[in-house]
Amino acid sequence: MKQAALALAVVLVAAAGLAPVQAQAPYFAGKTIEIFVPFGAGGGTDIETRFLAPFFERHIAGNPKVLVINRPGGGSILGANFYAANAKPDALQILATSGSTVIPYILGVPQVQYDFKKWKLVKVNGVGAVVYVNPATGIRRPEDVLKPAQPLVYGGIGAANLDLAMLLAFELLGMNVRSVMGFEGRGPARLAFERGETNIDYQTTPAYLSQVAPLVQERKAVPLFTFGFTNDKGQLVRDPAAPTLPTIYEFYQQVHKRKPDGQLRWKALQGLLNPAFTFQKALWVPQGTPPEALNALWDAVDKMNADPEFKEKSKNVLEGYTLFRGDKMEGAVIKSLRVTLDVQKFIKELLRTKYNVDI
Amino acid sequence: MAEAVAAALALFLVPHRLGMMLLGIMAGLMVGVLPGMGGIVAVAVLLPFVVQLDVISALAMLTGALAVVHTSDTITSVLIGAPGSAASVTTVMEGHPLARQGQAARVLAAAYLSSLIGGLIGAVGLTLSIPIARPLVLAFGSPELFMLTALGVSFAGSLLGKEARRGVIAGLLGLLLGAVGPSPAAAQLRFTFGQIYLMDGMDLAIVALGIYGIAETIGILSRGGAIAERIDLGQGWLQGLRDVVQHRWLVLRGALIGMWAGILPAIGATAGTWMAYGHVVATSKDRSRFGKGDIRGIIAPEAANNSVEAGDLIPTLLFSVPGSAPAAMIMGALLAYGVVPGPRIVQQHLDLIYAIVWTFAAANIIGAAIMFLASPLLARLTYIPFTRVAPPVILMMLLAAFQETQHFGDLIALLALGVLGYAMKATGWPRAPLLIGFVLAGPLERYYWLTINLYPDPRSWLLRPAVIVIGLLLVAPFAWSAVQALRRRGAAVQSALQRVRWKPSLGTVVSVGLLGIFAYAWLSARGFLVGSSLMPLSAAVLGTVLCAVQVVQEARGRSVPVGDEDELGGADDPSARRGVQRALGYLAGIAACTGLIWLVGFRVAAALWVLVFMLRVARMRWTRAIPYTAAVVMALELLAGVLSVRLPQGLIGLFR
Repeated sequence: MKQAALALAVVLVAAAGLAPVQAQAPYFAGKTIEIFVPFGAGGGTDIETRFLAPFFERHIAGNPKVLVINRPGGGSILGANFYAANAKPDALQILATSGSTVIPYILGVPQVQYDFKKWKLVKVNGVGAVVYVNPATGIRRPEDVLKPAQPLVYGGIGAANLDLAMLLAFELLGMNVRSVMGFEGRGPARLAFERGETNIDYQTTPAYLSQVAPLVQERKAVPLFTFGFTNDKGQLVRDPAAPTLPTIYEFYQQVHKRKPDGQLRWKALQGLLNPAFTFQKALWVPQGTPPEALNALWDAVDKMNADPEFKEKSKNVLEGYTLFRGDKMEGAVIKSLRVTLDVQKFIKELLRTKYNVDI
Repeated sequence: MAEAVAAALALFLVPHRLGMMLLGIMAGLMVGVLPGMGGIVAVAVLLPFVVQLDVISALAMLTGALAVVHTSDTITSVLIGAPGSAASVTTVMEGHPLARQGQAARVLAAAYLSSLIGGLIGAVGLTLSIPIARPLVLAFGSPELFMLTALGVSFAGSLLGKEARRGVIAGLLGLLLGAVGPSPAAAQLRFTFGQIYLMDGMDLAIVALGIYGIAETIGILSRGGAIAERIDLGQGWLQGLRDVVQHRWLVLRGALIGMWAGILPAIGATAGTWMAYGHVVATSKDRSRFGKGDIRGIIAPEAANNSVEAGDLIPTLLFSVPGSAPAAMIMGALLAYGVVPGPRIVQQHLDLIYAIVWTFAAANIIGAAIMFLASPLLARLTYIPFTRVAPPVILMMLLAAFQETQHFGDLIALLALGVLGYAMKATGWPRAPLLIGFVLAGPLERYYWLTINLYPDPRSWLLRPAVIVIGLLLVAPFAWSAVQALRRRGAAVQSALQRVRWKPSLGTVVSVGLLGIFAYAWLSARGFLVGSSLMPLSAAVLGTVLCAVQVVQEARGRSVPVGDEDELGGADDPSARRGVQRALGYLAGIAACTGLIWLVGFRVAAALWVLVFMLRVARMRWTRAIPYTAAVVMALELLAGVLSVRLPQGLIGLFR
């Protein structure tokens, strides 16, 4: 019996090409995993993590209990710092991060005490975004963005946050836009657009499709471009959720009749696109986590992607974008976090001179 | 629309869906009773179960829970004086003093009936406004939202208490507290003292628990005895119901104010309750009982805090802009079922919306009925010596505060605000303006900033019709009081306060302390960036000047620090001084408990502290104190398990 089990194990290992699997209870059997969300309840990252938790319970070998714990503060810096200082490499505590956790890290904000390079990636998924204007701006063709019929006003949350990608896009295209910061989120900023208080705005592609596309039909909004999506070869391609719209890269060419490559402004925007959009939502565990635990987590991601109920229900929550296994994407994600010094300096300089933000 | 309503009824009246709604209601009621825990905890507890249900059952469960949280949080607020959630502070202010006078049954009956009616009005309002809500919400631009928050702040003007100066200072302190953290206007952190904990600002639940929860608990403890001295349960119920019938228009007005505060995304649930309360006080002829237990001050806010949840569903469903965290979580659940909130929901899922409305209405009725039945029993809690009830209540408050960020700073903030709250309570500073200032500081500053930047020409927003209307509403009460003051001029001079010989006391410490806080804020706010300094700097300058006047007037014996009505006697009364000393002792006890939690973690600290408290303070015998402590610790453990609440871990890891 014992020999048969051993033989079976050997066959399984050979078949799957995995590290030796022990013929005993799975690593997570009877354990509880806590996922720390460094944001308040009800935010985007919180909602996604709470949605994923029961599917992780179902698909991680050993069916551990999965709890979601909110540890907000400091725009996610507090929770991520806490995790960096306290999490043990046993995969029983997992950290959820979003673009807001990554951008201060990239910019070298002094309060940041965490380092993504000391963690292993469990999963990553992203989201695209669409930029659109009010038809009253007179913008019909791409080149119109340089001479709109009325001054452009953009409503943002804060310059040193996810709005940064938008500000860099204005910079790259050479658009003259007055940015008003202070909205409490993209939703209220969209309301201001609908009221006519602002006339250029962006939303994540799913929010665009459900909230702004009806406005486009009523001729109350005109889409301009998307921030694109990075494919597994590292190339910026059209947003899979909005394939008819040009990417910012294509749009630049339509406006300026040349490619943006080689410009520092383009390098800066490129550096932000992955952390802010394609790799926006990630789960991490500390380095040194046992391989059997990591494998169980990564396999759970594959099993979830194959689960028909997950496919059905995740359509809206994950907004049509794929959930990637951590081991496949870790290299690309970590690479995307390295921003060259000249880019960092350029962004800081832009924030300081144009937006009165000193980092 | 009529078919959708009928179709929704058919969807809703399915036994197992009704069962799910009942489960949701039970969870909502239970979480509501716990001090400081509101809708977020209720929805978070239910979310894991929801995944296995069909969409209507899931919504029935979540809506059921959310609808009744503000029905049951009344119990804690009225009986113990600890706000059951941040939106029920006004119920503490008016309901708790009445409970002390033995009128708990009356207050609870009035509160439940108002909650029930408020919830139903909310449900009806939701039904009627769905077709017209989109253009209506979009009609409110940033200038209108700014003017509405300003109107809310001006309501604080009617809650100033006996001495207007103290009230204004308290309101300014609230604005300053609200300014801690990130500025909406510029990327700048204010008053954070280099603490990452303060980077996101102070948490509303902790402010409410500290300023009212801890302060009231300490107040009752230091007075000694039970919460209520007199017993008259029998007639109270009928009286409470009669009160609501008598003030039926207040219920309606409260519910409508609450619903609108919910519908407009900027204002928020807590502010809606305060606006309903401020409105009642501002429009009442006889204001002498407010703050000391006035049933009108319970009826309107209780109606408002249930209808606000219904109103909140409008921006959530029609704009996918949730006005509160629980609404955001419901939205997340909807997404999982393929229902995308937004402009198309009215065409695609109208039956679903009405199913939510039906659940909301039904849950309000069932929740109120359950509370009616349970309350005679719960009201008897007020006759138990308070020393036996206080330790679990205090531990619950510490635990609730800790859930906000799970950082030890939560406990320190709670303690500090508790000290401030008690000091204000004992020396005659009104606390209501502080809360209003705190709640509205954010939206006030944000929408002022957005308004002046989105409308660079002042005429373009000042002349908008709605702005003018709200502006008139804002100015009218002040003009009216000015006219009345002119008429009464002669009489007012005679009733000026008697001069009293000044002696240094706790009151002096508080006044000078506040002066120090404002002066410090003034100095540091001068260094802020243009946009982010405007509100804190104006609040600090005005506060410094008024505080200086206050200190001088106190020294001249013109403004005597007198505690709230339930605090014993005046400053000269020796028994009052002993009361203050005892209160300081209890505060030190809570501080010791917090320190113990820091050192050895919540479990061990709770056990040790309850045991010592029972032996030393409640004078229990060992034979009873030990089983009592064991029961409290086990109950907390059970609760933490059920609610998946995190317990603070200590420096020395015992019993993790």
